[in-house]
Amino acid sequence: MYSSQAANWRAFDFSVSCMNARVIGWGLIVLTLGIWQLVALGEHPEFVLGPAEIAGDFAAALRSGELLPHVGASLLRSLPGFALGSAIGVILGLLAGVARSLDQMLSPLVFLTYPVPKIVFLPIVMLWIGIGDASKIVIIALACFYPCFINAYYGARSTPTIMVWASLNMGARRSQVFRKIVVPSALPLVFAGLRVSLALSFILLFSAEMINARSGLGFLIRQSESSLRFDLMYVSIVAVAALGYASDQLLLLARRRVLAWQEVRS
Amino acid sequence: MSVFRRLALVVAGLTLWELAARSGMWSPIILPSLARIGPEFWFLATSTASLLEVWHSLFRGLSGFALAAVVGVALGVLMGRSAVAAAFLSPIFSGTYPIPKIALFPIFIYLFGIGSLAKVVLVFLECLYPIVVTTHAGSRAVNRVLLWSAANMGASRGRILARVVVPAAAPFIFAGFRMALPIAMIVVIITEMISSADGLGYLVMYSLASFRTDRMLAAVVAISLLGLMLDRLVVILRDRLVFWERLESYYAE
Repeated sequence: MYSSQAANWRAFDFSVSCMNARVIGWGLIVLTLGIWQLVALGEHPEFVLGPAEIAGDFAAALRSGELLPHVGASLLRSLPGFALGSAIGVILGLLAGVARSLDQMLSPLVFLTYPVPKIVFLPIVMLWIGIGDASKIVIIALACFYPCFINAYYGARSTPTIMVWASLNMGARRSQVFRKIVVPSALPLVFAGLRVSLALSFILLFSAEMINARSGLGFLIRQSESSLRFDLMYVSIVAVAALGYASDQLLLLARRRVLAWQEVRS
Repeated sequence: MSVFRRLALVVAGLTLWELAARSGMWSPIILPSLARIGPEFWFLATSTASLLEVWHSLFRGLSGFALAAVVGVALGVLMGRSAVAAAFLSPIFSGTYPIPKIALFPIFIYLFGIGSLAKVVLVFLECLYPIVVTTHAGSRAVNRVLLWSAANMGASRGRILARVVVPAAAPFIFAGFRMALPIAMIVVIITEMISSADGLGYLVMYSLASFRTDRMLAAVVAISLLGLMLDRLVVILRDRLVFWERLESYYAE
């Protein structure tokens, strides 16, 4: 890994500027795409498509209306699920972080069931409330609840005690302490939890759609795969990636706005 | 949290389930009683055929996780301690982090077949990210004074990495493991549900399709217990290996 020739000690300092890193990173991505395109130009099996071909197919699928209804169907499942699960998770997590009685009631249950892969409850939920959108929304909400709860809980618990004392000393009511001290100091961790939940919501969405659905991107991937429409399969995979990336960027943007007062960390 | 409280919680949950099942408001297919789930679970835990299913799932999950642990720690340490490596790798990781890798599963099936390999590769890929990210953060956070004094006393770079950087990053690394292991289980179960002829995820879907919900619930219980046990295993291992430090986070408690 480390050749002795290149062993300059500066490498132990993290000193390459962000700008350089970005240029190199993007260069690497462009390079990968280039190699992929070259491979696709040569002899290859039917299921390998080059980036240029996929881009063309993507535009075609957008025009023909094969893609957008499925994007809409997916978003209508993932967004309510994410919103529901993470809202409940953040609120209960914050409250359990400050209120001992709620902590003793909820935390054992949450921490005990946290390592259980929530997707196994999909069949049960399907059995109980049907195979429609509701069961997918519930399972996404359930999965999103956990990271939000845990992070909000630890965020609230790591509030500097001295600040709580100081504000109580200056005559703040408990609700004020919660709103003005606990919530802001928990926010960085809350956003960390939201980010994990967001990624999880997409994983569960697409797998639930692959397992059982009549619409949505996960269904489209499976259907086009089994009907050998590789163009549509790649298009829907690209759409999945774009959705995941775009929503993550939106969340990061929101975090930058909300946490503008916080010192910047990577 | 006391053992007693956990036990009370489990007992209360089971009692509630049994009361609901016996109330007669729901069909036994929708809500089978414990008297039917119990024997199914016993069958699952003792018969060779079903233990084989457990083994398939465990093998896929753990081999993908182990690969991700080795590669992820190596990459994370490299990124944390070499500016060049970080410049190359961190844009790739941060760029592809939010993309749900599960969407690649159909392609993996074409590339690696419908057997275990496609599933192991997907587990590897999904587990890699949390491990790399936490290891990267951990090896960047190493106290410089420790590095300086080790270098001052004539330690080589390899020795510094092995004796200073990795131990100092160990709490972070284990936090990453603890995030990745449930993900490994999720991905194994999902891929087995989508396309498989063996493993616990397959057993769940198969039992559901044949309306053996008691067997399905027994499999769900088995998967949940496996998830819990693996998590405990990581915690026990961590407590033995990293006894000197705790991070302020659930994953490190």
